[in-house]
Amino acid sequence: MPLPLQQGLLQASVEPMQVDAPPEENENVEEEHYIVENTTVDLEQLASQYTGLAKLNRLMFISDHCPSLKLEALKMALSYVMSSYNTNLLQQIHRKLHEAVATNSSLPDAIAGAVHSVPPIDPQFIETTAKKAALKLEKLDTDLKNYKSNSIKESIRRGHDDLGDHYLDCGDLSNALKCYSRARDYCTSPKHVVNMCLNVIKVSVYLQNWSHVQSYVNKAEATPELTEHGKDGGQLVLTKLKCAAGLADLATKKYKSAAKYFLQASFDHCDFPELLSPNSVATYGALCALASFDRQELQKNVISSSGFKLFLELEPQLRDIIHKFYESKYASCLTLLGEIKDNLLLDMYLAPHVKTLYTQIRNRAMCQYFSPYLSADMRKMALAFNTSVGELEDELMQLILDGQISARIDSHSKILYAKDTDQRSTTFEKSFIMGIEYQKKTKALILRSAVLKNQLHVKSPPRDGGQGGEMSIAPGNAASSARN
Amino acid sequence: MATALEQYVNTVQTLSTQGNFSQLCDFIGKSSDVLTKNANHLDNVLATLDIQSHSLGVLGILCVKYNLPNIPDFETLFVQTQEFIISCNGEHVRYATDSYADLCHKFTQNLVERKQPLRGICILVTAINKIQLFPAQLTSIHADLCQLCLLSKNLKSALQFLDQDITDISKEGGQFDARDFLLYYYYGGMIYAALKQYDKALCFFEIAVTTPSMAVSHIMLEAYKKYILVGLILHGKVPNPPKYTSQVVARYIKPLCQPYHDLASVYACNNPADVRTVVDKHQETFNRDSNIGLVKQCITSVYKKNIQRLTKTFLTLSLTDMANRVKLSGPKEAEKYVLNMIEDGEIFATINQRDGMVRFHDNPEKYNSARMLIRLDQEMQRCMQLDAKLKEMDREVAANPQFVQKSLGVHEDDVPGTSCSKTSAYQ
Repeated sequence: MPLPLQQGLLQASVEPMQVDAPPEENENVEEEHYIVENTTVDLEQLASQYTGLAKLNRLMFISDHCPSLKLEALKMALSYVMSSYNTNLLQQIHRKLHEAVATNSSLPDAIAGAVHSVPPIDPQFIETTAKKAALKLEKLDTDLKNYKSNSIKESIRRGHDDLGDHYLDCGDLSNALKCYSRARDYCTSPKHVVNMCLNVIKVSVYLQNWSHVQSYVNKAEATPELTEHGKDGGQLVLTKLKCAAGLADLATKKYKSAAKYFLQASFDHCDFPELLSPNSVATYGALCALASFDRQELQKNVISSSGFKLFLELEPQLRDIIHKFYESKYASCLTLLGEIKDNLLLDMYLAPHVKTLYTQIRNRAMCQYFSPYLSADMRKMALAFNTSVGELEDELMQLILDGQISARIDSHSKILYAKDTDQRSTTFEKSFIMGIEYQKKTKALILRSAVLKNQLHVKSPPRDGGQGGEMSIAPGNAASSARN
Repeated sequence: MATALEQYVNTVQTLSTQGNFSQLCDFIGKSSDVLTKNANHLDNVLATLDIQSHSLGVLGILCVKYNLPNIPDFETLFVQTQEFIISCNGEHVRYATDSYADLCHKFTQNLVERKQPLRGICILVTAINKIQLFPAQLTSIHADLCQLCLLSKNLKSALQFLDQDITDISKEGGQFDARDFLLYYYYGGMIYAALKQYDKALCFFEIAVTTPSMAVSHIMLEAYKKYILVGLILHGKVPNPPKYTSQVVARYIKPLCQPYHDLASVYACNNPADVRTVVDKHQETFNRDSNIGLVKQCITSVYKKNIQRLTKTFLTLSLTDMANRVKLSGPKEAEKYVLNMIEDGEIFATINQRDGMVRFHDNPEKYNSARMLIRLDQEMQRCMQLDAKLKEMDREVAANPQFVQKSLGVHEDDVPGTSCSKTSAYQ
């Protein structure tokens, strides 16, 4: 896929082609390309949970990373994109589909059938769609101009919003963002402000502009009467904001705060298929919580949280994992985690973080395993973590160096000993260091005051045209070379 | 001709006996032209003057002799200088610290040119002791001494001065320059580095780097390079320079030391192979800067740092495992490293040669011996002394008329008649 080309377009910001994940301020996107083979992702189910660009983006992501689902995903995306004005994406998907079919056509039977079922792209169709889109754009534009000349704030706002919706439908994200943001000046009630924020957040998520998302979430939350309008509306908006903020934090690697945000989502109001499905909320929340919460927090905020329990019911595997983790059955917990890893790698927002999250979960598990012991047999520990003693040693070494476990390894008899620090000695040690440090600093201070008193400083330029430097270096160098 | 010289001798003699030294200094300063013209007869003049009672006169003549375009008989001059420095009257020469320092600079320069640095060390040590008001005073001769010590590889002689914490700087009639200051700390740092007293070396380089500056000094630049290397050897990272470091360092000096920063960043990864790659890549620069010796020590210190890391995580470890983890060639080399480190007190461990295991221990020091208590007491005394010194300095500042005026918000012009005494007090 021609990423560099896309970037170029992005900079020019004329051609609205940056549909799937423009690498804007997000260093994770350019990660090495990986292929997922074994997956149990149900495309139908996934597709039904999302609408709009979120659906397309996710399908495209899967098609990029999973050869076995590639055709199916692309076909679904194609049929979905037909119903929008997004002709660029349509052509792109179609091209990809053709390529995929071409590469696969050497394969026999089942796929051979698929070859024929690729619907030929109708240039007429594209043309008419584009024309329709242009017409609609023109109409909306004139409408907006009319509203403006009449200067009715509410109509102008709506006009901007409509225009934004249309741009979004065409896949022109930057223009959509512009229109939505422009509506800001015409907001008359808090409800409108919140609405504007939600629109901007939606587009920013598509653009993966996470700092933007975060700031607009804050803006929306700061709006008064946020929770008042409508009976459930407040909750719906709130949940949506929490999820967006969680997503932004996840993308910027602030896992703990991401987990906290996701845990605040309300299940009954979690209905925004253009952003996140409840399943995703459950997955993100559970993994972030596992990776960043300690035992008490996990118990209090996740396991006994009535709200999040409903989310977890959607992902029974994750529920089991959390319970296993809490019950200290690390081996089965880690095995289960390993099983769902492939599926997680097909989630466009989670994929870049799967590795880090898994390492963190594993480290946390190890710390918890060892916490009650004074000494632990590493062979048993290796068994509990499905690993060999050698690898465990390496992992433990890293943890000790990071200061996560206070212990030392007896490599001879393969036993891990908790380290007991002699407080008295460390205090002495510290005070000596402190004293020496103090002396050093004070001496430097006294010297410096002497220097300042004598008004010594390197002047520019020295009176004899820089000889001060050059001349002095020669003997210095001669001396140092003699030494070396 | 002769009359001019006679007049010189006479004036020197009368003014010296009268004890009118400031006037004498003025006179000598003015008569340097006359003396230069009569260069051939200077030795005769010297013979008529007594070093002890006419020190300033002799100093004037010696300075003139060093300033001649080419010194005809350096050996004689050397002996004369030696005699002068050993037996001159300290009280007298303190009226002309600038000429005195100048004499020492020229003397050093000549020795360096003639590649006889060793001969001057003793003389300069005497010279410094004579001119200093108290041992903690820095003179510009300090730098000369360090230079000679470095060139003659006779490093220990400079230590008596280097180990002294400087609290004051001799003004030398306004001749003491930032250059002398920088050179002293640069050379001093190099001496300490050569003696492997890295913590002191680091302090010295730090002082050089943090000297107030408005322009890039080459000495400072070189000091900064060595500062990075010594910091790596000692702490495994580039120490953060103090807040008061001048802007010049960050803006102009850092960009000029890219190879060194590269080394520092790769050093942080603890991988000796990567460090070697970077060293090879910048080999030429390091060679050109004559820092290759320190760079090589950096490489060794990577291994040592890694072994020290192991002591934090392991109780026992086989030598083979250690060699693998630290990326040494084999158990033999690992054993060598561990042995050296145990001897240097860098780690606490025992090697069991029968099964090739290393046992790491905690620091055996329990801080309960009398020796340790004495040490603690000494450290505390030192801190208290420093504190007292600070208080004294604070009082001095508080009693400074200029300071009092400034803090009261009164302008200098408002209080006539005090400005003169004030400036002299402040300088």
